[in-house]
This record gives sequence, C-alpha cells and structure tokens, in this order.
Amino acid sequence: MRRNIFIAVGLLAGLGAGWAGFPRAIYSRRPQPVDFSHKVHADKAGAKCEDCHGFREDGSFAGIPTLDKCASCHAAPMGSTATEKSFIDTYVTPGREPQWLSYARQPENVYFSHITHVKRAQLKCAQCHGDEGSADHLRPFEQDRVSGYSRDIWGAPGRPGMKMDDCVNCHRQSAAKGAAGTLSAQAGERGCLDCHK
Amino acid sequence: MTTRRDLFKFAGGSAMGLLLTPAPWRLITDTALWSENWPGIPRPARGEIRAKFTHCGLCAAGCAVRARCVGEQPVSLAGVEGGLCPFGVTGHHLPYHPERLRHGNRPEAAAAVARAIANSAPDRRVAVLDLQPGRTASWTCRRALAALKNGVYLAPEEPACAVNLAPAGTVLSLGAPLLDGWGSPDRVFRARSGFRLIQAEAVESRTAALADQWLAVQPGSESVLGRAVAGTVGLRQAAEATGLAEAQIAEVARSLRENGPALIVAPEMTSEVLAWNLALGAWGKTVLPRREAPLPREWSKAAPVTPLAAVEVGSLGALLIDESVPGAPLPWAAIQPKLAADAVVVAFSWSRAGYARHATHVLPAAVYPEALGDLPPALVAPSVGSAAEFRLTVPLVAAPDGMTDPAEFLSAVAGLDAKDALRQRAAAIHAAARGSLRTYADGKTSAVKDLKFDDFWKALNAGGSWMGEVENSGKSPHLAPAAPIPDAGDPWPLRLSTTQPGAPALVSPLMTKLWQESGLRLGPHRAALNPRAGFEEGARAVLETPYGRCEIQAALDGSVPPGVVLVAYTPEIADIRGADGCARLVRI
Repeated sequence: MRRNIFIAVGLLAGLGAGWAGFPRAIYSRRPQPVDFSHKVHADKAGAKCEDCHGFREDGSFAGIPTLDKCASCHAAPMGSTATEKSFIDTYVTPGREPQWLSYARQPENVYFSHITHVKRAQLKCAQCHGDEGSADHLRPFEQDRVSGYSRDIWGAPGRPGMKMDDCVNCHRQSAAKGAAGTLSAQAGERGCLDCHK
Repeated sequence: MTTRRDLFKFAGGSAMGLLLTPAPWRLITDTALWSENWPGIPRPARGEIRAKFTHCGLCAAGCAVRARCVGEQPVSLAGVEGGLCPFGVTGHHLPYHPERLRHGNRPEAAAAVARAIANSAPDRRVAVLDLQPGRTASWTCRRALAALKNGVYLAPEEPACAVNLAPAGTVLSLGAPLLDGWGSPDRVFRARSGFRLIQAEAVESRTAALADQWLAVQPGSESVLGRAVAGTVGLRQAAEATGLAEAQIAEVARSLRENGPALIVAPEMTSEVLAWNLALGAWGKTVLPRREAPLPREWSKAAPVTPLAAVEVGSLGALLIDESVPGAPLPWAAIQPKLAADAVVVAFSWSRAGYARHATHVLPAAVYPEALGDLPPALVAPSVGSAAEFRLTVPLVAAPDGMTDPAEFLSAVAGLDAKDALRQRAAAIHAAARGSLRTYADGKTSAVKDLKFDDFWKALNAGGSWMGEVENSGKSPHLAPAAPIPDAGDPWPLRLSTTQPGAPALVSPLMTKLWQESGLRLGPHRAALNPRAGFEEGARAVLETPYGRCEIQAALDGSVPPGVVLVAYTPEIADIRGADGCARLVRI
C-alpha cells in the first residue's frame, strides 16, 4: 500500500503540473508600453472602435493606430492623469512610436481581410476580439514560448479564440443560417486558398 | 525509507498524470506551428500599401506595371492596362533568386579588357554583344565603341517593322506565339477581340488552341505558307510543303485580302515577313516603321550595328556580353569561332546560366526590378499608330552592392562620361517639345511642351510613359530577297520547337520550382516527341543542330506532330538553337 502512494503522488503532481503549471509556464508575459484605457476613451471621449482602428484608403486595415493618431488629440494633456502625462512625455513629445504588442496578429501563413468581415459581413469587433473596448487597463501580452502565437489566438476564459477551427465554425454557422446564394451561404463555401495564401 | 524504486514509481505516476493533461498534446501542436513559422521563412512586410509604377524589364515589350508596396518593399505586381504574363507577375521575386550572382572581380575584368584594347593588333577587335539593342544603354555602348579603336557593336537582328493590331481584321500567325507573350502582351490582348486569328503551326501551342483557326502545317513549312499567301509560291508547291490542301491555302489568302486590313506575323519579323505584308497592302495600316525616341545631337558618333556573320573568324580580342537585360541570344557556337585564341570574354549577368558559362570574367548585374533603364522601341506599336515611345524601368528595390552596369563599365574603359545618359536622352525628348506624357497614378496625359524638364523627368521616374506624335509611315523600306525553300534532302529533318516563347527569361524561383517539380511544363533536358518518332519513353538521345549538340531524354507525347522536337527553352538549348530551328536526333 505504501508503495502505491508514490504512484498516486506522482500522478497528482503530473496532473497538477499539466493542468495548473503548464498553462502558466508555456506563455511569456510582457506588459504593454502604455496602460491605455479603452473604457475612458469610449465613455468620456465617445470614441468608437473605427475612430482609431480604421481602414486605410486602399481598404487595408490599419490595426493599432500610430503615434500621429494619438498625437492629434494628445499633443498636450487633455486630463490630469499621470498615465497621460507620462505618455506625452515619453512618446508624443519626442515623437517616439510606442511598441504596442498585438494581441490578435495572425501568423504569416494566414490572410485575413478585416474589411470583408466588418463592412461586408457586418461583424462586430467584439465577436472576435472580446469585450476589449470596455476594458480599463491593457492586459499583459502573452506569447506562446514554442509557437510564438499570441494567447488570444488560442482563446482564454472570457475571450473567443481565433484559431482556424474558430473561423471554420463561425463560417459554418453563418452558412447554416443563410439561404442559398446569400452572403451567409457563401461564407460557408470556403477553400484552403481563401485564407492560406 | 524512500528507495530508488519509489522514485521510479513517482516518475511513472507523474508521466501518467501528464498524459491526462493538455500539456503533451499542446506541445506537439506548438512544435508543428513553430516549424511552420521558424526563422528563415521569408515574412512579407505588413503595413500601409502604396502603389508604385514602373515598366516591366523582363522583355522588350515593357508592359506598364503597378506594384503594391509595403513601405519600400514590393509585395505584388499587376498590369496597369491589360494583364501581365506569369513572368511579369512574379518579377519582384528575382532579386532573391538563390542562383543569383553576387560577387565578381571588377578590377580584374577591367584590367583584362584594358590590356586587350592596349595590345590589340589592327585586325583584332573589341566587341560588345547587346542582347536588347535600342536602349539608351545600347547607345552608350555604341558611343564608347566609337571612341575605341576597332570597336564593334554586335546585336541580334532587330525586327524590320512594328505591327499595329488595333486596325487588323485578319491576322495570319506563322508559328508566332501571338497570345503567349509575343510582342507586348497587354497590347495584343487589348486588340484581340477585333481580329480573326489564323495560327499556322505544327504544334497545337497555346496560341493555336486559342486561335479562331489552327492550320496544322508540316514542321518548318510556315514560311512557305507565307510565300504562298503573298503570291511568290504556287499553290501546288505550297500544298506539298505544308501538307495543307490547295483550297485551304487559297481560302486563307482570300480571307486575308477580303477581311482586311491583313497582317502576317512570325516569331521574328524579318524583312521577308515584311515583304509578305507589303504584298497584302499592310504598310501604313497594320505594319509600321519602328520609331526611336529622339537622341541628343552629340550622340551621333556611334558605332554601327554589325551582324555577327560579318565579323571575321578569330578577330575578337575582347568580347563584352550585356546579358543584364533579357533578349534573343545568339548561339554560342556561332560566337565562339569569332574569338581569338586569347580572347577576353566578360559577361554581365545575373546568374551563371547564360553566357557566363563561357566567359573568362563574370560580373554580376542588377536584375529587374533593381536597375534603372529604358526600353527599346516596341514591336507592337501603340493602337494610335506609328509613334516613338520612351519608358523607364524604374527600380522598385535597391540593388545590392557590387553590381556592375555594363554600359557604365564600358564607358569607363573607353573614357566616356555617360553617367547621365538617360537624363540627357530625356532632355533631348523634352527639348523637341513634341508628344505627350502619360502618368499612370492619375491616368492623366499632358503635352510635353507644357511641362518643365524637372517635372517631366520626375514623372518619367515615377513610371510615366512618353509617346511621340503619330507620324506618317512614309515609303516602304528596302526588302531583302526571299530565302530559298528547303529541299526534300534536308540534312536536318526535325524542327526544334520550344514550350516557352522567346528567349529563356528570368524566372522567379517560385515558377522554377513549379516547373521542375511538376508535369505542368516540360523540364530541362527532356524532349517531347511523337510516339511514332522511333524512340521509347525515357530513351536517351543527342539533339544536334547546325550550332551544336546536347543530350536529352525522350518524353513521348501524342500531341507533338511527327517531325517536331519540343523542348524547354533552357540556356543549353539557346546555345545551339538557330533561327530556323533545324535539328536532328541521334540515339545514344
């Protein structure tokens, strides 16, 4: 009986390491350069997602805004917070671009068109990115130490994933809802080369 | 007390426990993902996409190109007016080609050429072989050769005329790959819906498959059909040579005369082809003179174009081969006898695949789209008629260090200051104050007389295109006598046909991979033959031409007619292929 205790303890240790320790150990965590508040910008400034994360004239998605966009409002402090003052002193005044870490960047072998999904299919930003727009702080950027993928690609509690399976499932559901020949139905008829160039 | 056995049990239990967690499975997935994205895999730049304009430098056609660039990096190329051929679409891959030459000993090559010039006897000559004559760089070479004693400028035979497909009602193509990269593909396809195409060719090429009518003639007899249509050969003689019925030939001739304006095109627009067109009354309608953009007056002292055949055997003490731009190669077997025993041969090339294999010195040259240059007069004239053009191949990426510009190398050897030759040429065009400038970014056309020179030069360097005023075609040119019809006792019973039209072009590594690793195209060292040609699948044979021989492996293909050997246009084939395509096969 005593001898089997070691097996049981090892089993529990393995389960603990695999379920609790591994998910923490596999990701490296890095803070964002600025503690940006989406909530403040949405509530007080009334900004919408597309005001900062817009499309360029050629239809490509601009993604994270550049310093020019920030500086157009924050050339001088608009409030009295230390975060804003620090941001202006560190980045806006010297013209230094913040090195934002993109949570949602897809790997190089994937082609994703924002304009097709947002303008044509009328998807809401939160459908893929979660409720990021109402967060008061930016969470740390978590990156898989082996694959290099962001944790947001895998998804996390409270946040949808952006893996290939997630794309496929969404397209299938959309197709199932739509009538033949409609945009929704077309969304289900995807081949490999639609996303993998 | 804890024993070693207890530790093993603990480790075994841990391993079992881990197997019941996501950890090992996730590590397998992660490792697979890492292998898809590991370092070394090229990563296309991301960011704002801007359009840049240039002209394709992969052949003399010079199609207008819109390049999508992220920052300064081109990520895709497309045609501005009409499409681009597969070579043009993938042209931005070429600077990264694994076979690209990056190093060469320029001082050693310059010293060797200088020695050859200094020590040359009166009967020894210094020559430049320019594969794409008619460019500003070509004029620089000609001026430099004029400054040297015994300088000779060699170039492949230029087309005797330009063609205008826009007004054509019926086009007879004598084996020309008209719909497969011939001339200027964008101009050909823009005019395609307006004319009826009759393709006379032994092989059902891609052009033959897309033509309105395909005439499957005997291999090598296309020119006989041309003569018959022009009325210089009788119907019976033409029928015997081509394998067509007399009525068929008469119908083609009638169609050309009644559904005009007519045009006859051939792979090379020689003076004989021009003569057939003149007989059909095509001069000034579908056949026009090739116009060159104005030149600065001080460039009048330039070496004349000399055909290779006119060069004496063993007389070339130094030969500089400008292979930096693609063109129609001359068979090496025809060049070699002209060289002296101690001749210096310098090849300016992007890879070792071409003439660099035969050179004593090889200097790496910039490749499209790295080099700034201009294009020779187009074979397919603009739809408006006979007008000169001036278009630049504007660099989209910077050339690496150590690249040599052939014209600049030669002008340095000859002591000629030609650094600003392109700008001088543009100044001469601007000074003439004729024609108009088209800018692709805004689609506007401006009269040159309304532009300042700096604006004109800036617009040209942004991918603009100058076109002169449409001029009268004038009187028809002097014509060469027709070549004799090959007799039945031809020692070269086969005709060499190539899967790829024109010269071996610079090919993206992506297309090379597709070509070599699939059955989509005939690979190098393989020759497609009719199953009744007397060879078995995979049999080895020697392909002989009047210029040389190379070993091939037979690939039987029922679509290849008897009497034809179909091969890929590789540098080895370019070395031995003559303009008439005569060949024979000898079993090993």
